[in-house]
Amino acid sequence: MQLFLCPFCGERDETEFTFCAEAGKTRPEPAAEVPADAWARYLHFDHNPKGATREVWLHATCGEFFLMERDTVSHAVAGSHSLRRPEA
Amino acid sequence: MPETMRDRGLFWSPAPDWTTARIDGNGYSARRVLDFGQTLVSGDLGAAVADMMPGAPEVGLWSVAAAEPFALRIGRDRALLVSPAPLAAAPGWRNGYVATPCDAAYAILEISGVALREIVAEGTSVDIEAGSRSAAVLFAGVTVFLYRIGPETARLHVEAPLAAYLWAWLEGRR
Repeated sequence: MQLFLCPFCGERDETEFTFCAEAGKTRPEPAAEVPADAWARYLHFDHNPKGATREVWLHATCGEFFLMERDTVSHAVAGSHSLRRPEA
Repeated sequence: MPETMRDRGLFWSPAPDWTTARIDGNGYSARRVLDFGQTLVSGDLGAAVADMMPGAPEVGLWSVAAAEPFALRIGRDRALLVSPAPLAAAPGWRNGYVATPCDAAYAILEISGVALREIVAEGTSVDIEAGSRSAAVLFAGVTVFLYRIGPETARLHVEAPLAAYLWAWLEGRR
């Protein structure tokens, strides 16, 4: 069992979380003019780094999407950050 | 006659008669609590509580709710307003929040007894004593809202169609 840190709930079991995407991907625009191979790269190709990575995860029980920094080799979690913009 | 289609009704846990269903296990008892009001609110939770149940306290994971009404926090922008009877609040958007009546959408199972912590430890791996702002947690593989109404009495709100499964899980450990 591994504990992940939800920015809202605190530490919870990994089974409550779902991987969403690598962080930092930029959706190609405008969508109507994006060629198929560019869409394929965006949708299906990841950098999949060995070591430190930044990913978007979902804490499924509370519905929080957040940024998690973790290591793909050691599985150590370096931190979790809310994706909320700071309050105006 | 050849079997052309399986009767999947047999696959599901049979639902008990909730008005009389009761489990008396080793160190605990369980029953379903009926007729409470439950209203899901999303958005500006402060405005929702002020409009629909002013002064109601917020309850999180394993918190003790002294009495209804209270706002059961289940996410950053989401709470379940629990009241002794269904609220007359209209559904829809207003004042920065949306209200959804769901009095029957969640079944409320109440577990009481000295074995309560043992049951919770079997059902979930969360550190309940550490607390959490959200009462939503995986319990026996399904999402429930877990809090207490006394030192040894807990309530689980679970989506109504899953109540029979959770009941069978509780009966299985008797």
